Amino acid sequence: MVLSGRTEAFEPLVTPYRQPLLALAYRLTRNREEALEVAQEALLRAFRSLARYDVSRSFRNWLFQIAANEARDRFRKRTREKAAAENAARHEPPYSAPEDGRARQEIRSDILQCLAVLSPREREVFVLRDLEELEIKETARTLDCSSISVRVNLSSARRKLRQAIRDNFPHLEEGR
Amino acid sequence: MTCRKAKKFIPLYAGDDLRPRLGAAVRAHIDACLSCRKELGEYRQDLTRLKTAAKAESVPDWSEGEWRALAARFKPAAPGEKRPAFLAQPRWAAASVLGVFLGLAVLAMLFKDGNLGPRKTSPAGEPSVVSLTLVSQETGLQVVWFLDKNFEWKGDEN
Repeated sequence: MVLSGRTEAFEPLVTPYRQPLLALAYRLTRNREEALEVAQEALLRAFRSLARYDVSRSFRNWLFQIAANEARDRFRKRTREKAAAENAARHEPPYSAPEDGRARQEIRSDILQCLAVLSPREREVFVLRDLEELEIKETARTLDCSSISVRVNLSSARRKLRQAIRDNFPHLEEGR
Repeated sequence: MTCRKAKKFIPLYAGDDLRPRLGAAVRAHIDACLSCRKELGEYRQDLTRLKTAAKAESVPDWSEGEWRALAARFKPAAPGEKRPAFLAQPRWAAASVLGVFLGLAVLAMLFKDGNLGPRKTSPAGEPSVVSLTLVSQETGLQVVWFLDKNFEWKGDEN
């Protein structure tokens, strides 16, 4: 219906995915406000590019792909801004940015803290494959990379998480 | 397969993420190796615990206001706001069209005066043949003489 031009059908179409999409964005960004922005932008992008949606593919995974791309773009932008700010701050007295405080406050759950030990790519792969339970092939397609790259990052992510659990979250190890 | 090699693959084997052939080789080693079997068990437990913790974790949800505000933006562009189709094309397409247009404009300017192609001029730039037209005032007869650059007579035409 939506593909045939009835755009009012878009909201009912995406409503079942609104929470999983926000949860994915939250695990990728580890910040509620940023996750909300990522999920909103992903849904708007999906709405605008609906004509390019491949109907042979899972709609949920397509939304996940858009959200992962958005989160990655924002991460890169933030990294550049941070580098520029650090450059500028070298000549200024140190201060605590409000964003830092907010970020620290957001990182509260064990899962989010565990995910913090991973690189952005490892986090994307782990979240999609192990938490969202996408197949390796579908994970690769969602992240626009090869299956080999997914396996390499997944292996590295599981190794790092195992170490992090032993070092910092023994209560997870004990099943509490 | 050695323990060292098997341990390299255990993180992926724990989630059944190895290709079947490699998975079979790792399984054969693990069946025979207590230390690798123990490590595999630990990886599987950690994975299960992480998944369980992730499911139990409270993740944020949209407030109704946030969702309604977003849903209000799922509207097609009004007819007056609709961009022409060519503007929706990627930049490279617009650049190609502009390039073709400029190329055609240059060609049109070159052909406009009809002076494209070989000119009847000597290498020094002087005309190789000149013509002289003689017209009789009484009879109106016209005679055209053709002379080369040395004014040698080359022929005539009535």
